[in-house]
Amino acid sequence: MDALVHINDVTKRYDGSDQPAVDGITLQIAPGEAVAVMGPSGSGKSTLLNLIAGLDRPTNGTITVAGRRIDRLSETGMARCRRSQIGMIFQFFNLLDDLTVADNILLPAQLAGMPRVQARARVAELLDALHIERRADAYPGRLSGGERQRVAIARALVNRPLVLLADEPTGALDTATGEEIGQLLLDLNRSGQTLVMVTHNPELAARYTHRAIHLLDGRITGRTGDMFPMSRTAEARR
Amino acid sequence: MVIALVLVVSTASSVLGLALLADSHATFDRAFSAQRGAHVVATIDTSRASTTRLAATAHLPQVSAAAGPFAETNVTATDSSPGAPVIDLPPLTLAGRPAPGGPVDDITLQDGRWPQRPGQVVMESNTDGFGVGIGDTVSVTSAPGRPRLTVVGLATSVSRSADGWVVPTEISALRSREAPAIAQMLYRFHSAGTAGAVSAATAAVRNALPAGAMTDTQSYLNVRAAQSNQVAVYAPFVVAFAIIGLVMSVLIVTNVVSGAVIAGYNRIGILKSIGFTPGQVVAAYTAQVLVPAMVGCLGGVALGNLLSVPLLRKTSDVYGVGQLGVPLWVNLGVPLAMCALVAVAAILPALRAGRLSATEALAAGRAPRTGRGYLAHRLLGRLALPRPATIGLASPFARPARMAATLAAVLLGVTAVTFAVGLVTSLRRAVADLDLTKTEQVQVFLNGPGPVPVKGPGQAPPSAPQSGQVITAALRSQPGTAHYVLEEDGQYVKVAGLVQPLAVTAFVGDARWTGYALSSGHWYTGPDQAVVPKRVLTTLHISVGDTVTITGTGGRTVPVRIVGEVFYQDHDGMTMLTDWRTLTAADPGLRPDPLNFQYDVGLRPGTDPTAYVRALGPKLGSGYGVSINRSGGAEIAIALAGTLTLLLSIAAALGVLNTVVLHTRERVHDLGVFRAVGMTPRQTVAMVLCSVTGTGLLAGVLAVPAGMVVHRYVIPAMAGAAGLGVPPGLLNVYGAVELLALVLAGLVIAVAGALLPAGWAAQARTVSALRAE
Repeated sequence: MDALVHINDVTKRYDGSDQPAVDGITLQIAPGEAVAVMGPSGSGKSTLLNLIAGLDRPTNGTITVAGRRIDRLSETGMARCRRSQIGMIFQFFNLLDDLTVADNILLPAQLAGMPRVQARARVAELLDALHIERRADAYPGRLSGGERQRVAIARALVNRPLVLLADEPTGALDTATGEEIGQLLLDLNRSGQTLVMVTHNPELAARYTHRAIHLLDGRITGRTGDMFPMSRTAEARR
Repeated sequence: MVIALVLVVSTASSVLGLALLADSHATFDRAFSAQRGAHVVATIDTSRASTTRLAATAHLPQVSAAAGPFAETNVTATDSSPGAPVIDLPPLTLAGRPAPGGPVDDITLQDGRWPQRPGQVVMESNTDGFGVGIGDTVSVTSAPGRPRLTVVGLATSVSRSADGWVVPTEISALRSREAPAIAQMLYRFHSAGTAGAVSAATAAVRNALPAGAMTDTQSYLNVRAAQSNQVAVYAPFVVAFAIIGLVMSVLIVTNVVSGAVIAGYNRIGILKSIGFTPGQVVAAYTAQVLVPAMVGCLGGVALGNLLSVPLLRKTSDVYGVGQLGVPLWVNLGVPLAMCALVAVAAILPALRAGRLSATEALAAGRAPRTGRGYLAHRLLGRLALPRPATIGLASPFARPARMAATLAAVLLGVTAVTFAVGLVTSLRRAVADLDLTKTEQVQVFLNGPGPVPVKGPGQAPPSAPQSGQVITAALRSQPGTAHYVLEEDGQYVKVAGLVQPLAVTAFVGDARWTGYALSSGHWYTGPDQAVVPKRVLTTLHISVGDTVTITGTGGRTVPVRIVGEVFYQDHDGMTMLTDWRTLTAADPGLRPDPLNFQYDVGLRPGTDPTAYVRALGPKLGSGYGVSINRSGGAEIAIALAGTLTLLLSIAAALGVLNTVVLHTRERVHDLGVFRAVGMTPRQTVAMVLCSVTGTGLLAGVLAVPAGMVVHRYVIPAMAGAAGLGVPPGLLNVYGAVELLALVLAGLVIAVAGALLPAGWAAQARTVSALRAE
């Protein structure tokens, strides 16, 4: 089966640093797979996620998402790629405080030029699916942590991305809310959404992903779980 | 960086404005003092007063210094440079002086050298119409043998003591046979502040000389009045620009500095958390802001001085003195005032920061107060515009005070642009109205000084007055002639209520087509009517519609009704324009003086004036001059307005730049989010630019009427300084297209100011932006 994300011998070295943040990583992620990226602080987890998201460029190596080399794209090309193929959620939500919940979710669709009626319908669908429809007109500052992360997930999904990247999605939440969000991500994956989740919580990784890779000092030091145990075709997940 | 840049521009515009203001008020006095100008230039009949008697006048109690006697003569001359066409020069007063310096009237040699032997002359460089340069040859046609003088230098006398200077021994050879032997004495008086004091001191000198020895005098007050008029015209608009510039500087500097302090709250919080006291925080932060401010102020002083060089040179030329500089008080006062302003602007928010706790300061600097601008985002989000545009449009509402300051800065910038556009248009129209260049494209003279002389190289000028019939025949036969009228400028009449005779410009024939601009009333329609400039109306305390009585040379009086106020500046506005028959009614024997008349010629549409003049010259033949009526221009005022407007526009754009930089810095994390969810660099640029378009457009809409109001007040003030009324055409200068363009000028300034930070925002690394908290 073809990998949805193909990372080949990727190294990322920041200016002024002798030690690479990511060092020669090769990794493949199949469609419908849920993969955890684990490791201690400074191991290169978030850097790897940012490279997959096209938020940063590798110093060496190639990254292919859905058959497209994103490491070669221009800034505009990477932005377009993020809109259409990648959804991203963050530990601290990264919602825009001056936009309502609905407007936050709507934003990527608007940037992608989705027709207004279609975009609004998609937002309503997500609000409903994530159980935040009553908070549509609220501002993020008025929401609980769990609600904010739901809004962030809805925003990440609005353009129906091929892969959802989650950077410590439960890290800023209490245990119960973390469970809630974890379950939500699991449900999404079960419905076919490819998921890459950064976490340093082994329990979370075990419960909500199929396999995990372990990073230390930018290198893969271990892998747990089966390769592609639950992969599905892109058609199947929709 | 932004603080330094804004202060460079603000300080430079303030230095320039104040320097010009000081210049317009005091240049003559400074030049007069520097040249030790003569309070009185007295013409002495040397056959009546000996050198000893003249020398004795220097010791009169009223006299502080004297120079002379310098032999003097009045001549007629031509510019007869070999190989060039012969051009008649106006009548010249030549004085014999061994050197330019002396205790009185220390002449400034602008170029070349002082005459060292007979046959050399230094010409006054500021007298219009000479057109001679170093190396040219001047033939004195009124002197026996037509002696030739080589121009070896150009010089200026603030006292306007002569039109040219030769070695003293030359004068006798330059006098015509019938000319009397005269000399000039130059006096400075202990008391010369008023016309009365000058008259009293002059009378004392006259009384100390034999009766009739002093034949003429010229007071420095008259010279100053004439010269001051030229610069006083500029004062109203320089003041307007200076006020706009200063208010804008205050706004921008306050906005920049307070924004910088607010942006530094995070740092202030850190300082406090490691033990800084509130006083130390205030001192540290004020000093941190003052350092770039002082650098900017010093740069601004240097730039202001640099920019003032060409402008002050122009005004210094008006006064006939050497290069003038920016006054010391301006160079010291402006940067000090600016630094004080910055200190106040920095201390107030720094004090506020000093009072905050460390955690409050850390939190305060991170984001706009929650809730501000949310409604704007919500409402604008409903517009059928691209989302980056609506987010940009809504973003200024998060900082309403900053938006207001930016709006005010752009508003003032566009006000300056609007005013400047109107000013330049009005000045150009005023010059065209005064010179009648649009209607009266060609002028034909007898013995004329026009730029297309009809005499061949080396030929003698016409020796006898010619009949106007030659001219009218030539004009009639020349294709392209639409109108012509004979204009006689050399007559004077006595008018009840005026001590001095009033100059008259009289027309033989219909002159309505000449298109003299009228502030009120109408052009005369008969010989019992006249139009006059505002200065005549105010001097005589009369209005349009009143009747004055004029007296001809024979004593005959004629009532003349003033039917219009004309926009006309000759004779300093003390003149009357009327039909020739008005004059002959008062003086039946009067005939036009060929040396003082000209034919004003209007051309048919599409006729090329240059081709017309070239074709008409040969038809007129020898002894006539024909020239294109060219505009005198208003280059100094236009250059001033352009420079000041440019500076103010740059300052306004820097104000926008500051706002956008602050806003971008505050919202850098949001920029990261935008980029992370798929905003392209181009959409980022659009969003940042849109954040200032609303402000720019609103500023433009508000500023255009403001600029028009400034224009409507300043133009009459300028005209008033020149003793003129304002024709409606000088005020109604803004067309619909211009107004639309000016409204868009606000947008242009705002977008220009935002382009740079928009580029920075588009290039910001998403990962770094997301990490910013």
